[in-house]
Amino acid sequence: MSRSETNLLFAPSHEWADISEVGGEKYATIGISAFAIEQLNDLVYMDLPEVGRVVNAGDEFGEVESVKAVSPLYSPVSGEVIEVHSELPDQLEKLNEDPYNFGWIVKIKLRDDKGLGSLLDHAAYQRQCAESA
Amino acid sequence: MSLTVGRLFPLQAWSGAENMAVDQSLAESVDSTRRPVLRFYLWEQPTLSLGYFQRLADRAKHVDSLPLDFVRRATGGGAIVHHRELTYSVAIPDTPESAGARMDLYRISHQCWVDVLALYCVHAAPFRTCPPAVVRKPDESESFLCFQRRTDEDLIVSGYKVLGSAQRRARAAVLQHGSLLLKASRWAPQLPGIEDLTSRSLAVEDLVANFTLRLGAALQVQWREDGLTEVESVRSSVLVSERFGDRRWSARR
Repeated sequence: MSRSETNLLFAPSHEWADISEVGGEKYATIGISAFAIEQLNDLVYMDLPEVGRVVNAGDEFGEVESVKAVSPLYSPVSGEVIEVHSELPDQLEKLNEDPYNFGWIVKIKLRDDKGLGSLLDHAAYQRQCAESA
Repeated sequence: MSLTVGRLFPLQAWSGAENMAVDQSLAESVDSTRRPVLRFYLWEQPTLSLGYFQRLADRAKHVDSLPLDFVRRATGGGAIVHHRELTYSVAIPDTPESAGARMDLYRISHQCWVDVLALYCVHAAPFRTCPPAVVRKPDESESFLCFQRRTDEDLIVSGYKVLGSAQRRARAAVLQHGSLLLKASRWAPQLPGIEDLTSRSLAVEDLVANFTLRLGAALQVQWREDGLTEVESVRSSVLVSERFGDRRWSARR
């Protein structure tokens, strides 16, 4: 099923999180927003974390190189990386076309709900983007 | 108009790993102090710096520089032979909400170099303003080296790239590395420097002084000479041992 950006949560640093619940456990699928992809301009490289890595909200979990800048990716949630989109670094051009579906980067099993409240909903994130554009 | 006080690190020669570690440590400081940093440096010995994402195996594409020691930069782009060039780094505060390159910093700093080189009657221009006919376009197979690549803000003299820069984002700061190619190196003889192209003689100390003055005016920063704090020194040492001076980290791609 196609993911709608209006249902996602966003970090101010432009990562999105799609929160789901399975068997009482919460999971987040993480990517970077269309706005960030446009600002980054022509991504050429991406580094992914290893499965099993534990991150706290705000920690770096990967890096991207675009034309003229290397930028860290920050995790919007705390938990353990359980899956990475290993095909993505070789198909970065598809990020532009489909940032919220094909463009997912990692899946994280949440340690707790702490920090989710500080993420922005779609409307608030759109306001942030409008102010910084 | 009030000026921001920035930290100026005068010209100094360190090892490749130390140079990269100090730059990253200073960029992390800018994140918290909000004070811009400008640093010029030379290298204790000729060194090849790889762009952050470049593959070590790609060194085979440039045989001339194979004898050199190497370091991996925190910034991206192509490899640079640090021999007869001047390296600088500038780190400025930014917001965590910014994404991608700070193109304004590229344009401002490169215009300062254009103005400095004009003092020596050297005409440099951004690649984006150069007619295609006057720019020597390298083969793709040659583009392992930064100075054989072309992006819009690179500075061109007589058809050759003489200044290239690359950036890395920290949380709320941006680090920019820049390299001004003064003269061809025996480790990269295919890359002419400004002195080769113009027969002008450039004094590094004068270049540093003039660029410092102009960048300060352009960024509204009053530079004050400074040294590393104890925290920055410790952090730099950690970054040397765990990252830039660690062969496994440097050879990880």
